[in-house]
Formats: sequence, structure tokens, C-alpha cells
Amino acid sequence: MTRLRWRGVSGLMAAALLVGTAAGCGLPADGSSLGELRGTVMEVPIEKPDLVLTDTNGDPFDLRAETDGYLTLVFFGYTYCPDVCPVHMATLGGAFRDLAPEVRDAMKVIFISTDPERDTPERLTEWLGSFDDSFIGLRAPIDEINEALAWMKLPGVAVVPAEHGSEPIIGHPSAVLAYGPDGLAHVRYQFGTRRADWTHDLPLLLGDRP
Amino acid sequence: MQWWCFAQPGTAWTWEWRPLIGVWVSLALLVWAYRALLGRTDESGESAGLRKCRRISFGAAVFLLWASLDWPLGPLGATYLASVHMVQFLAVGVAAPPLLLLAIPPKAYEKLLPHERLMKVLDQITHPVVAFVIFNILMTLSHWPGVVDTLMPTQLGSFVIDAVWMAGGLIFWWPLIAPVPARPGFHPLAKIACLALNAFLIRPPFAMMIFSENPIFAIYELAPPPATDALDDQQLAGAVMKIGVAWIMFAGVLVIFRKWMVDESDRPSAP
Repeated sequence: MTRLRWRGVSGLMAAALLVGTAAGCGLPADGSSLGELRGTVMEVPIEKPDLVLTDTNGDPFDLRAETDGYLTLVFFGYTYCPDVCPVHMATLGGAFRDLAPEVRDAMKVIFISTDPERDTPERLTEWLGSFDDSFIGLRAPIDEINEALAWMKLPGVAVVPAEHGSEPIIGHPSAVLAYGPDGLAHVRYQFGTRRADWTHDLPLLLGDRP
Repeated sequence: MQWWCFAQPGTAWTWEWRPLIGVWVSLALLVWAYRALLGRTDESGESAGLRKCRRISFGAAVFLLWASLDWPLGPLGATYLASVHMVQFLAVGVAAPPLLLLAIPPKAYEKLLPHERLMKVLDQITHPVVAFVIFNILMTLSHWPGVVDTLMPTQLGSFVIDAVWMAGGLIFWWPLIAPVPARPGFHPLAKIACLALNAFLIRPPFAMMIFSENPIFAIYELAPPPATDALDDQQLAGAVMKIGVAWIMFAGVLVIFRKWMVDESDRPSAP
């Protein structure tokens, strides 16, 4: 092969590498992120709802009291969810395994069921445990859930009845709200938040917020 | 109606059968073209056993393409599992191309000789070194996270990735298998070295899949089950890529070595 040809080939390889690198580097999962955070920083923070739920042991769980002083991620979903819930929990669970113990210890992940009839305590425990044992599953009557969602400025629960023997679909918000130790949600994470986004943002949320 | 399988993020996997019309049409066209090629090619100089081997080779290639692109592997690999995506790559980009090239009788290759322009292009892109470089660039680019996440969510983009795999595979295997253009200087030992190098070469996507601390493909990371842990699936995909390519290259080495031995034994001994 002539020198000219070799130059052409090496040039092609360099160009390919450049294109690939450029394509590999994307913006954060959420284009509307501000500052260093990859989640969406809300202009008006949302206060934690005054809600007493039931944990998987059957004990009352006062959301404000039990999570006071912790970075708290609150997500509404259901264990039979075929798409958004398992993906959110899996990315969070994966990120949890990468976080430093002191970061994990300063956090609580709250999963509030929007399908309390089918999400039995046993099922909630088993399902959440498949992602991370520390995730907390909570239940409450659907009216109280909807009140809390309205308080948090999130859309309410919508049930799509079962068809042809399939399971009913429960419409629910797809965002995770991140409450800081101050009890206010400053950031929300839409569906599409990746494991790398969580491992990037969670330590920041425990430190200095922008 | 779906033409080609493509990534549908956020869509739950179901075992409900889905037709992929484009895959069937493409394979039907391939079979038709092969039959037409055989119909116009004089195979009388070949033994019945060799002719049968060529047809088996073609049948195996068509089966590999159909099994990897049609339901269920097609949709599973397009949206849900990087490891299945890598099985598809092995089938479409590494295993099927040599089987297709082996299925073509030498007389059919010789029909290319009068086409000067085509032969000039073939001579350049199937030069062993160029073919090796093209194959590895195409394979690297087609597995680059940004490229996969951009192309896979559309039917056309997904088709382009499969077509690039097939084209890259054909270009790589052509100088190793096809008799045209003749390359008398490309000794079987050099062919074996070429395959061995490709088997052991560490491509950037493999390194990223195995060593990255986070899932590198957004499509597979944000896919609902059956994947439970995107990182595990990604590492499995890296292993499938590395081990699969190595085994297919090793099979190629065996075929070339055997042919070399047969050719040597058929050569009249010096007086």
C-alpha cells in the first residue's frame, strides 16, 4: 500500500474516532438542567406533604418525621408497572451500589404505591428488594395518595381498566422528586434519568446546591 | 405493521408475536437472487458434494439472518438486551457474510471480471489491509454509544446498522474467501494471521462495555424488563462480542488451514 493510501486510511480512522467521540458525548439526560445538576431544578421548591402512610411491616410512617434531615427521593408507582417504575428503580438501585456509604446513609428512597390493592406488603418488599434492600415501600388509600400528589403539583393516579384478560394499567407521575434535608424538593428527575446522572447528582444534593 | 425492528424506549416487552415484514422481504429477495445467480452459472465442473455444501452454506446464512433479525431476537436486541444485540451482530456481521461468500460458485465470481470499474473498486476495498481496517472502523462506529442511541430508535437507523454490519463483514471476508480479484500473494498463513489478529484485537466498544462503571447505551439502560441490571447485561454483551468473534475467526482459521492442506496435497510433487 502506498504512503498516500496509508495517510488516507489513518485520516479516515481519525475522523471516525472524532465522529464517534462527538456522538458519544451527549448533554445531560435532561436538557433543561441548570447548574451542575442533571435533574431539573424547580423555580419554586415543593414542600414535603404531611402524609402518614403504612410501611411494609404494617406500621405507620410519617413522611415528614421519618425523613427529616435526609435527602429523600420520592416516587409514586406500582410493582406491576411494565415500564417506567422498574426502569427508575433499576437505575437508582444501580447508582446506589456505586455511592459511598456515607452518601447512602444520608438518603432515603421512598416508593409510594399507586396500586395499594395489588401491591401487598410482601410484594412491595420483594419487588423493591430486587433493586435495593434499603428502598422503602409505602401504602395509603388512593384518595390520600391523590391529595399528596396534588400537594406536590404532580398529576393524579388514573386507572386504565384491564382488557382481554390483561392487567389494569395505573397511570402515575413518572418523575422522582428529590427532597433536600431542608424538607423542600428543589429538583425533579424525569423518566430517562440514567445511573450516571444519579451518581453525579446525589452527592451534590447532599452538599452545596447551586 | 413494522418493517424493521427498532428501539422503542419505555415500551414493555411482551411475548406477543409481531411480524417484521422488511426482514421477510429482504430474505426472500436474497433467496431469489441466489437462485437466479445459480441459474445463470455453470456448475458442471464442480462435484455434487461441493454443490451441496454451497447450498448448505447459503441455507445456514439465511437461517442465521432470519433467526437474529426476526421476532423475538430482533425486538429483544433492538430495545431490551445489549447481549442479544451482540448476538445479532455476530450473526449478521461476522458469521453470515463468509457463509454467503462460500455459497457462491467460483464461476459466478468470474463473471465480475469483465466489469472494469467494479473490479477496480473491489480491488481497492477488498485489499486485505484495507478490508481489515474498514471492518474494524465500521464495527467500532456501529457499536459506539452515541451512534447506537441515535440510530436504533428508528426503523431506518436500525436497518442501517444491520446493513453496515453485513457490508463490513462481506468486505472483511471477501479477500479471505472470494477468488476474484485474484491475490496470489495473499498466502494462507497471512490469511490465518489476519483472522487471528481480528480475534485478539481489543476494539474500543468491547473495552467500554466490559470496563465502564455505568451502562453506556441509554437504550438498554432505560429499557423495561426482561433486563434487570443494564450493567450486567452490557458486560455480558462485551463477553459475547469478544468470545463470539474469536470463535468465528477460529472457525475461519480451520477452514482456511484445511483448504491449504488440500491444495498442497493436490499439487503435483516436484520430479
